[in-house]
Amino acid sequence: MRYYTNIFAVYLTLFLAFIVNLLPWFGQGISWRPDFVLLVLIFWVIRAPQLCNIGVAWFAGLLMDLATGGLFGQFALAYALTTFFAANYQRRLVLYNIWQQAAYVFVLLMLSQLTILILKLFTGHDVPSWHYFFPSIMGIILWQIYMVASGQQRLNQR
Amino acid sequence: MGLMKGVHKKLEPQQSPTFFVRGARPFARLVFFAALSLAFMAVDSRFNYLAKVRLGLVTVVHPLEVLANTPSEWYRSISAYFSTHNTLLRENTALKTLTFEQSVTLQKLNLIEAENTHLRSLLNANPAPKQQAILGEIIHMGRDPFTHKIVVNRGSSHSIITGQAVVDAAGVIGQVTRVYPFSSEVTLIIDKGLSIPIQIERNNLRAIAFGQGRDSTLDLPYLPANVDIIKGDKLVTSGIDGIYPAGLAIATVLKIERYPDSPFAHIVCLPTAGVNNHRQVMLLSIPTEVVNSSLSSIKPLAEKNVLEKPAQTPINSDQTIQKPITKKSSNAILH
Repeated sequence: MRYYTNIFAVYLTLFLAFIVNLLPWFGQGISWRPDFVLLVLIFWVIRAPQLCNIGVAWFAGLLMDLATGGLFGQFALAYALTTFFAANYQRRLVLYNIWQQAAYVFVLLMLSQLTILILKLFTGHDVPSWHYFFPSIMGIILWQIYMVASGQQRLNQR
Repeated sequence: MGLMKGVHKKLEPQQSPTFFVRGARPFARLVFFAALSLAFMAVDSRFNYLAKVRLGLVTVVHPLEVLANTPSEWYRSISAYFSTHNTLLRENTALKTLTFEQSVTLQKLNLIEAENTHLRSLLNANPAPKQQAILGEIIHMGRDPFTHKIVVNRGSSHSIITGQAVVDAAGVIGQVTRVYPFSSEVTLIIDKGLSIPIQIERNNLRAIAFGQGRDSTLDLPYLPANVDIIKGDKLVTSGIDGIYPAGLAIATVLKIERYPDSPFAHIVCLPTAGVNNHRQVMLLSIPTEVVNSSLSSIKPLAEKNVLEKPAQTPINSDQTIQKPITKKSSNAILH
């Protein structure tokens, strides 16, 4: 299978993910909504590291910080750290099958949430309940649904 | 064998073949960007330099927020279009009854207001401050589970300023903490950083309510274990802060726990207003007297949590109400 990746596709999907993140969620959905921007970032970092790397992730995180109104730079740091672990092991990751990849992506999603949690604890917030990690679970479910539905054997660029 | 022995030494230092070239190493990039974001965080929490940058970038992000809101707008306008005749009739009858009931109450209010102005003039007291309200709509809620903030579609172009109280039909929901040109950020009363001067409706006991941060409840700390509060007591704004008008409903006492090892009662209150489930909110302007006398001193109560926000105004001497007591000693260390 041959994938066509270009820089336009990367930015378009990131833009759409950002819009979805900004959607006004109400009710139960709030605690379950996954971080779409991070999912798209991880996807592109594994698929096309030459187009989307830590710098792009960092800037996307900065925009998220603006949208959430939190401390400037916390999402940026979390995204940079997460995409680092995706980019650093990218050559190994593309050899795994989609279920092994999903396990690793789940670790990455949790890592991003943990980074923000640690930053929050430093600024004097309480430890949240375990519901805090729901977005990661929802995120990996969506990831895997997409992977299986699109019939990909593994996520590599060839 | 002798020839092969030195091969690994000749190959060192290992270099990536050219077809693996990906620019700078991931680790170098990480170090660079992590340092940059740590610097941003430090600057944002300690100084005021980034306020302008934030203002500029938020103006860029604002159209996206509006765009993200269009699908739900369409959905609502379409479902409003297809609402049935019966529903509208029922709603109409209900609203008419409500208007009738409220107009009766309003007549009494006019009478009382006139009487009050008269009494105040007799006593030579200052006239009660008038407050105006602007209707705003929530355009987006932060995805951060630690901070309870919403973004409302009214900003400095609609003459919103920081510190304004935000209410819905049932009571107070929060306070404006950041103002952008076309939107503003409202910290909800359940946020850990927000505190409100309150009064118990039953016995006029004054206290300060703090957001609990996690369970959508409010805390009333620093009240002695033998305090006269019972379950079901209503908390209203006391009005002494000059920001919230007096008598707005805030919360109802949910439970009172008294521990033998603590001199303070642990009082948990449930917000009256639908803090998390409205789209329209009212932004009340700050009473004019206060604006005239000490505009610079109005700081949102949420400023307690200094690390989360840049200081917006220089610290003034008359902050006895705005900055009551630091809730946790851990916060005090960080200051």
